[in-house]
Amino acid sequence: MGMDGLFSIFPPEDFTLLCVILGLPLLGAFVNGVFGKRLGKEAVSLMALVAVGGSFMASCAAFFMLMQRQTETEAARFVWHGWKWLDISGNGDFQIPIEIAFSVDALSGGMALIVTGVGFLIHLYSTEYMAEDDGFHRFFAYLNLFIFSMLVLILGDNLPVLFIGWEGVGMCSYLLIGFWFTEEANAVAGKKAFVTNRIGDFGLLVAMALLVWHVGALDWQGIEAGANNLLTPIKIYPLGNGVPAWLPDFIRGPLTPEDPRGVRVTAATLVGFALFLGCAGKSAQLPLYVWLPDAMAGPTPVSALIHAATMVTAGVYLCCRMAAVFVLSPATMATIAIVGLATALLAASIAFAQNDIKKVLAYSTVSQLGYMFIGIGVGAFATGFFHVITHAFFKACLFLGAGSVIHAMHARIHDVDRSQDMRNMGGMRNFMPITHLTFLASCLAIAGLPLTSGFFSKDEILFKAYTSTIATPQVSDGEWIDRSTQVTWPAMQAWTPPEDLGRWIYTLALLGAVMTAFYMFRLYFRVFWGEFRGWTIVRGWVAPAGGHHGHDDHEHDSDEPLDGPKPHESALQITVPLVVLGVLAIFAGGLNAHAFFHSHLFDDWVAPVLATASSSVGEIEGAKEMMMPLLLPGIGAFAIGVGGAYWVYVMQRGEPAASFVEKVPWLHRIVYEKWRVDELYEETFIGAVDTLGDMAVWVDQYVVDAVVARVTSFAVAASGTILRTMQTGRVHAYGAVMVAGLGALGWFFIAPQAVVTVLADDDSGVYSVTASPGLGYQYRWDEDGDGELDSDDFGDKARVDVQLGRSEVRLVQVEVKNALGFRSIEQIGLFRPQRDGASDGLAGAAQEAKEAADSAAKSQKALQDIQRVLQQAGGNLPGAGKQPAPKPVGGAP
Amino acid sequence: MDLVIALSPLLAVGFGGLMLMLAEAFGKPSEEGISKTTGDVVDAGAGRGAELGLGASVVLIAGAVMAVGVWIVGPETLEGVADVAPYLLIDRFSLFFTFVLCLGGAFTALLGGGYLPEHRIDRSEFFPLVLFSTFGAIALAMSGDLLSLFVGLETMSLGVYCLIGLRRGSARATEAALKYFLLGSFAAALTLFGAALLYGATGHTDLVGIGEAVATIGQPDSTVAAMPVLLALALTLAGLGFKVAAVPFHQWTPDAYEGAPTPATAFMAAVVKTAAFAILLRVLLVGFGEERLMSWGTGWPPVIATLAVLSMTVGNVVAGRQESVKRMLAYSSIAHAGVALVGVAATIRSTEDATASVLFYLLVYTVSTAGAFGALILCGSRGAEAVSYEDLAGIAKRHPAAALAFSLFLLSLAGFPPTAGFFGKLYVFQSAIDSELYVLVIIGLVNSLIGAYYYVRVMVYMYMREPVPGAPVAKPMSSGMVTSAIVLAALLVLGLGILPGVSLDMAIAAAARGG
Amino acid sequence: MFDLYLPMFLMFAIAAGVAAGMFSLGQFVGKNPQSAEKLTPFECGNDTEGAGNVRLSVKFYLTAILFVVFDIEVVFIYPWAALFKGLGWVGFASMLMFVVALLVALVYCWKKGALEWEK
Repeated sequence: MGMDGLFSIFPPEDFTLLCVILGLPLLGAFVNGVFGKRLGKEAVSLMALVAVGGSFMASCAAFFMLMQRQTETEAARFVWHGWKWLDISGNGDFQIPIEIAFSVDALSGGMALIVTGVGFLIHLYSTEYMAEDDGFHRFFAYLNLFIFSMLVLILGDNLPVLFIGWEGVGMCSYLLIGFWFTEEANAVAGKKAFVTNRIGDFGLLVAMALLVWHVGALDWQGIEAGANNLLTPIKIYPLGNGVPAWLPDFIRGPLTPEDPRGVRVTAATLVGFALFLGCAGKSAQLPLYVWLPDAMAGPTPVSALIHAATMVTAGVYLCCRMAAVFVLSPATMATIAIVGLATALLAASIAFAQNDIKKVLAYSTVSQLGYMFIGIGVGAFATGFFHVITHAFFKACLFLGAGSVIHAMHARIHDVDRSQDMRNMGGMRNFMPITHLTFLASCLAIAGLPLTSGFFSKDEILFKAYTSTIATPQVSDGEWIDRSTQVTWPAMQAWTPPEDLGRWIYTLALLGAVMTAFYMFRLYFRVFWGEFRGWTIVRGWVAPAGGHHGHDDHEHDSDEPLDGPKPHESALQITVPLVVLGVLAIFAGGLNAHAFFHSHLFDDWVAPVLATASSSVGEIEGAKEMMMPLLLPGIGAFAIGVGGAYWVYVMQRGEPAASFVEKVPWLHRIVYEKWRVDELYEETFIGAVDTLGDMAVWVDQYVVDAVVARVTSFAVAASGTILRTMQTGRVHAYGAVMVAGLGALGWFFIAPQAVVTVLADDDSGVYSVTASPGLGYQYRWDEDGDGELDSDDFGDKARVDVQLGRSEVRLVQVEVKNALGFRSIEQIGLFRPQRDGASDGLAGAAQEAKEAADSAAKSQKALQDIQRVLQQAGGNLPGAGKQPAPKPVGGAP
Repeated sequence: MDLVIALSPLLAVGFGGLMLMLAEAFGKPSEEGISKTTGDVVDAGAGRGAELGLGASVVLIAGAVMAVGVWIVGPETLEGVADVAPYLLIDRFSLFFTFVLCLGGAFTALLGGGYLPEHRIDRSEFFPLVLFSTFGAIALAMSGDLLSLFVGLETMSLGVYCLIGLRRGSARATEAALKYFLLGSFAAALTLFGAALLYGATGHTDLVGIGEAVATIGQPDSTVAAMPVLLALALTLAGLGFKVAAVPFHQWTPDAYEGAPTPATAFMAAVVKTAAFAILLRVLLVGFGEERLMSWGTGWPPVIATLAVLSMTVGNVVAGRQESVKRMLAYSSIAHAGVALVGVAATIRSTEDATASVLFYLLVYTVSTAGAFGALILCGSRGAEAVSYEDLAGIAKRHPAAALAFSLFLLSLAGFPPTAGFFGKLYVFQSAIDSELYVLVIIGLVNSLIGAYYYVRVMVYMYMREPVPGAPVAKPMSSGMVTSAIVLAALLVLGLGILPGVSLDMAIAAAARGG
Repeated sequence: MFDLYLPMFLMFAIAAGVAAGMFSLGQFVGKNPQSAEKLTPFECGNDTEGAGNVRLSVKFYLTAILFVVFDIEVVFIYPWAALFKGLGWVGFASMLMFVVALLVALVYCWKKGALEWEK
């Protein structure tokens, strides 16, 4: 059978097929990037298409091989080990090898299919869409490079490799947003995406460091195997010393008598928050979503591929990947769900007021990503991931459809903003039937028409939000001892979310669903229905001299009414991807149609991979029976949203919307201006950073530059000059310096070196004093501290042990004689500190602390006393400082 | 037969040298550019610099390959190795150095093959001399006996004296050669005197025997006196300190480096220094590895640490005040010797890790500095040499590739990630931290900052300055051999920076069998 | 250790002392009248002409150094010859390599014209 042949060529433990999947796009990027200019457009598009198409075929093969091997309970996983990259020292005495390794399993295999498949369609689309652009080869080189980076991200077998891909897609995104870098706005948008993502990347790096420390592994299997180590409690001091009492325990943490400060969380929570910060940056969640709408400044296929279908879902993918870590922390899970919900609602509300067709889609993407995170946050990892896939289909289709419309608008309107403004569109269904039908299909899917893909994925998320529960992990079995402070803590309980959280999420998400249906159909009706508003259509219109213009010479069209031809349907390269994606948008839901067909192919497919995580996720009683009751409001939301849009924009021709704007202009303005979040960031964070920057500049200018830099540079320069004068060029001077150096060396060896080290044992009071060994050295000692050397003869004894009582001071002397008979004396003062209560160690101090607390009876003073006693106990650990040696009282030679 | 295999790198370089010498004597002078400057004798090698350079580099790379081969076979499995011990020790330690030295020599040969014809220095004996000198350097790194140590040291040095004075017409070159010769003889005499004292005190010339004899000092029935041993240690340190150019035995360095033809300078910086470090490690760890001599209070570690601090500080501080790039690189090589000495001092606690870090550092340094000198060569042509910073102004526009390569090597020398130099410094400082030499590490880091200043200054001139109108500027030359050397070095600098694991593992294996 | 070398040190000291003493004695004890006559190089005959020192041709040095180099060969071969039987074929091969190396050097000198006195 063919499959066996495949397995013999690509054995699962050395799965070189991954190199093919990864290598082809890289090859394409290389060829197009280096030789693209000389190859010509046909060759460039062929190269790019073959690269991604080949990668897609290989992904399919890998996928089928996975299907062959995967069983209901056991996940199949094919690995290719590249080479060992580096070793990281772990917590303890072992090395964590980091390999360049790639693996494919149900999760990554599915994602790879989407990336290469949708990627292929978008490549195909771009060959037409970008046909007249000067940077054609550059565009495809970037696009191929993006596919490669995305595949590295998905297929990487450990976090560092994923991080390479993570940064790679970020870079490609940056390059492609700024593709028309001559435009100021694009450059700014690229920069914004870059900076925002850095914040997220910081979180990812922190997460990696924490994982190295607590789990001791960075590869998927290692993390999953060692995830339970993350249940270690950790004490953090987010608010410094004083924690206000009115803060909830969730933030403040449980107080203990030993140390009232700080919050105890599990390592899982820290790692979870850090990881989620990374995901929020890449997947455009609150508060880091601001870059994504601006990123629409890039070419439309880029918006479809990177900023809707693939890259932005990387955060969701990572959450599924690390599901075993996330479920250990209910606090993180709840945070993810709430952030997702807030993002979904906020973005949907902004989408109401936008007129730019791509902006609406951009905010809808942010909103849908929010839904995916709701799924993750309630523990429905498979469902959240399924929404990634359906969203990839319908959102890519929507963007490409929008691109098709914009393409048509370019026949007469070349200004970017105006060609994308839906106030200039209308009635497009008459001119562009294929675009219209596919766009409608996708709109229905995203709005949640029953039986479309969006319906099954979104409503499943809502259902899971209502019914899922996350088991509270057992953090520590009993008392545990903090390694750094040696303080014993009582058992710790993880935070448990309130019971009705799920219900709230369900309800609000339902509201979001209404909003989604409304704004999507507002878009649809305004673009495709009604009268065409772009220009006056003239039969047999002929373009004036100069013809069609490229993107880089946007003439700014005047506001005068234009004449122009009938907008026309796009070419085959554009419509074919649209049709494919539109069909998928409608029917892909069948893979996971719990509601009517009880089909759960997709859930079963990824279940083995998510098995560890899923074991912590339960459901409330009677969940099965709630399916239909919970579904009906979802269908209602669709009906209300679409019906509302139809009533406002078709029946009333937009009158209600206009009058609403007139009545409450401030509300419209603030929504139109995106709740002024950008301005808020501008004023707060960026402003603060700017102020900080100004201060730093000031300090730099007047303190560092003026004083520090001048002084140090002067010192360095001056010493350089002085030393340079020693470089006389005279050979006898050089010889003399050498001899002087030799003399110094010789002197060092001839002079006796009496160097003493002390090893103190505070408990027994034995201080052992060791004189450095030296060739031919002999020693004599004054152990008893009477100032007289104990013996007249030198001996070989290089170490003495001195018994000291509490608070005793003793001056020990040693005289060293070297081989030439030269002598040297060294004195060292020993001191054993007094301890209150004379009991030994910290246990005594803690005992005392308790007594002090009892006697001082619950007052603030008690706390202070405890702190003081503990500080003393901790601060005066056994030590023997070199005392300023008092003058020897005679006797010393 | 075992022995022949084991010695194959050494033999290959030696016989290659002899063959090249004959080739140089019997070859026909090239038609074009027959030299008129060689006096009465018609120099048969005249105008053949490129061919001979290629031959020499092939021989040296063959030597490096053979070293790798012996490494893979495993010197422990070769029985004949015992026959030449302790005069020549074939272990992984010496094989690692053989590889590095051959690599450094190959760079020199390639650079010379481009440099000498370009600058009309028709001295084809350059290449046999490089081979013989490398031969001596390998023998030095292999030697485990004071006799072979001295022979190796002199074989290496004699060749270098000649290399420096290659431009006979130039007063500066002659002066440099003479200075190096005089001071080098002085240092060799010190080493020899130390060796004599050691033999007198212990009755051994082999390092292992010396180590064992020194260990008996202090025991009741010992016949070994402590004082001659200590004096010998001081003398040996001074003699080898001269070869590695550690302050205060460094003053010849800038003069000799500047006067020598640039490939010879690269040779001194890369090969001579590396070989001297090899034998320094061997002598200190085997001959003077006794506990009392390795102690922080009374042994050589504090001396080495002092030399390290002085070398780093003086090297970096003075390098910042130089106007000539070549001289700056000379001082930078002093500073790098200081960093490597930090690693030597760190052998006090974690001996093997610290030794490995020095080995790795030397590999990295060899590649980076050879590359830097190569880039400097590439930046200048006859009559328009790149000497001062001003000469390099705006070179990035005239020859972007050369400027890029130069920047890469400078970044590596300065220790920026992801270049090899970063990991070299990282491992040295890490081993110093493991040995709790925190002060050394702090001084080293401060020095790295000072160092970054003058390295970056070169880049500033190359990329951000325009040449002053009318002032002389460097015109880049074109030479396939120089280019290939630079490409090889750049690949290594990046490769070692991105994947330091393999070579570091090798250094650790070498250190395990060297101590 | 000092005991062992003491006679030798004494001998060096006495030798140095005697030499220094002789010179200084003449300086201090003897009269040292200075006159124009006394300061001329020769008190009789003709005045000298030309430089005092003779410049030798560099060829002399070249020949001398070549002589030294090949002379060393003999120094090495002597002990080898004395132990020839004990060293066996390995010793023979080693010496052969040594001789070949020197031979190559000789050929090199020859070819380079270092052995020609007159060109």
